[in-house]
Amino acid sequence: MPPSSDDTALVAAHAARDVDTLVLIYQGAAERAEACGDIDRACFFFTQAYVWALEAGHAAAPALHAWLVARGREQ
Amino acid sequence: MSVTDFSAILQPVARAKGLPNRHYVSDETFAEERERVLFASWSGLTVAAEIPEPGDAIPVDFVGLPLVAVRGRDGQVRVFQNTCRHRGMILVSKPGKVGNVIRCPYHSWSYALSGELKATPHVGGPGHNTHEEIRRDELGLIEIRSHVWRDVVFVNVSGDAPAFEDDANVAMTRWAEFDQPIYHGGADSTFSFDVKTNWKLAVENFCESYHLPWVHPGLNAYSKLEDHYHIEAPGAFSGQGTRVYAPQITDDGRRFPDFKGLDKKWDKAAEYIAVFPNVLLGVHRDHAFAIVLEPVAKDRTIEHVHLYYSRPEVTAEPMADMRRTNAAMWHEVFEEDISVVEGMQAGRAGLYFDGGKFSPAMDGPTHLFHAWIAEHMAGRPLAAE
Repeated sequence: MPPSSDDTALVAAHAARDVDTLVLIYQGAAERAEACGDIDRACFFFTQAYVWALEAGHAAAPALHAWLVARGREQ
Repeated sequence: MSVTDFSAILQPVARAKGLPNRHYVSDETFAEERERVLFASWSGLTVAAEIPEPGDAIPVDFVGLPLVAVRGRDGQVRVFQNTCRHRGMILVSKPGKVGNVIRCPYHSWSYALSGELKATPHVGGPGHNTHEEIRRDELGLIEIRSHVWRDVVFVNVSGDAPAFEDDANVAMTRWAEFDQPIYHGGADSTFSFDVKTNWKLAVENFCESYHLPWVHPGLNAYSKLEDHYHIEAPGAFSGQGTRVYAPQITDDGRRFPDFKGLDKKWDKAAEYIAVFPNVLLGVHRDHAFAIVLEPVAKDRTIEHVHLYYSRPEVTAEPMADMRRTNAAMWHEVFEEDISVVEGMQAGRAGLYFDGGKFSPAMDGPTHLFHAWIAEHMAGRPLAAE
């Protein structure tokens, strides 16, 4: 199966350590999963977004952390 | 080694013998020294100038122990074991920015720059970042006791040495006048030598002036042997001083600014001390240096040299030519020492060398270091015990 555009962009963002794009892609995937009611999948992607944001001191980190805490997935 | 052998070293210098060969050529003794001397004391690890900004980190393999020095958001330098508490992965593999946290490259357990475990992604399963058995407050990075003095990051790995201020009190008091801000000269003011010698021979060569007329003949022009004096502080440090230091003056009359408030004796004096075990320091009216000896193996040492100045403006471009001249001068001096410290290492393959006969007049500082090593090897329990 050919990679999706998200997959290709994700690999490129990882390779470039482009945190803005990583956060954007993972957060987007999380929100789509949440909209489908797949909370575990959403938490997985939000966690990915959170860790990259946390390391980089990205502005989104506190909100991502709060989202995970609210769902009992982070402390 | 027997107690009797150490007793020979602890005799007054006129009758003492030097440390025997095994302290230079034996892997077993090198490993013992790691525990009893280098880990049990306050040893130099690196300099704080290597991590100037918050979020900077430098990994250092300290005699086989993986450590990382980090400057926190609060500006404080801390040293941690460079090992993740999860699977033992090395956390920081090259110098540079680590960001807001130290993130393990394996499973992304993430630690604050002050050591606390902040994130454990998917530790309870995908998307579950907590688990009742994962208590973050018990799983922070292992901090190694550290203290910064004269920009040198000292560590006490065993954790049971006296407080640094007590341990180094005599040296700190001697140079209290120089207890003022110092500014690293930057990239053109640091260099290193990878030397085929035991680390102790670099200390021994540094703290005596006896060799100067033979190994550094250029110094004879203005700094003769008789212009030097011994510095001996039993149990703490030893070294040498000169009474005829002459600052660099450029053809157009420029000079480095002096440190503030120095006594008049420093107009021409300069001092060089080996702070035991592995830090070599020098002070002059207008600059200072620190050498951190990295003991790599029984017969290999990396000498990390750093030059410092009295004012921030000295680190700027207009004085780059003067910094480079000063660095080149010291590079030449320290390079001249390599052949003798490597030669003494090679000479210790001589089966019948008995540790050597000291000059009662000239080898006091070296003997004092040998006695310090002997006391630590004989009298202090292993750190791991």
